[in-house]
Amino acid sequence: MTTLSGASSDGSARADRILRHALPDRVLHWISAACVLTLLGTAFLPIVGFEFPWVAVHWMTGVVLFGAVLLHIVRVLARGTWGSMWLGRADLADVRDVAGATLRRALPKRKPGKYSVAQKLVHHGFAVAVLTTLVTGSLMLLRIDTPWWQRNPYRLADATWGIVYVLHGLAALLLITIVMMHVYFALRPEKLKFTRAMLRGWVTRKEFDEHHDPTRWRVDP
Amino acid sequence: MELFRFSRDVYGRETLQGMSWDRLWVFVGVGCALIVVHAVYRLLFAPKQR
Repeated sequence: MTTLSGASSDGSARADRILRHALPDRVLHWISAACVLTLLGTAFLPIVGFEFPWVAVHWMTGVVLFGAVLLHIVRVLARGTWGSMWLGRADLADVRDVAGATLRRALPKRKPGKYSVAQKLVHHGFAVAVLTTLVTGSLMLLRIDTPWWQRNPYRLADATWGIVYVLHGLAALLLITIVMMHVYFALRPEKLKFTRAMLRGWVTRKEFDEHHDPTRWRVDP
Repeated sequence: MELFRFSRDVYGRETLQGMSWDRLWVFVGVGCALIVVHAVYRLLFAPKQR
């Protein structure tokens, strides 16, 4: 289902709201956001001088994020929507169009599908950074006592642990920059429609007509 | 400013410990710089959005 509320106010049959994010996707997004912010806070606040017992909160939040990411992947696979985030030839044409328009100080001629190239790149940036932290964080769980096992820091060689820690730290540092950019763009006036869609689910028909190519994001009329 | 943190193991060998946390402010700074550059571009140079 991609449209909401049967008819528009002028009596036409076209729905005036178009579903952009279904409720389960929105819930997963905001759970993931809360987890990432908690993980960054528990990781970096002690480093900058705010000392508190952070380890338990950090790893438990990481487990919740792992579950949210798994559910997201399962939902995408089950619904066959993998391709909506895929970068294809049309996206390369969009990049050329945006670059040319920026140099000419003009508006781009092409309209994106459901997601712009920038939104796809942010998603992929999050995917790489979050998956790296989750995989390395899962290995690091071997070094602490959990309800499921006793710590065993000798499962990997010291040099291997060093690589695991470097990857975990590098991905976490990258997440700081990506989160900053993501929040900045989410709060920009011209992007608030996407933030509202992530809160309430929909964009208006007018926003859809103005900002999206209906041949690339097919919705019910 | 070091890129990585190292320590010495019980045999005195240098062991990789992880990223140097001095780098934290580089990533914060890059985020701030990108935001400022984009905001200035949109404010002063970009054409009005549709």
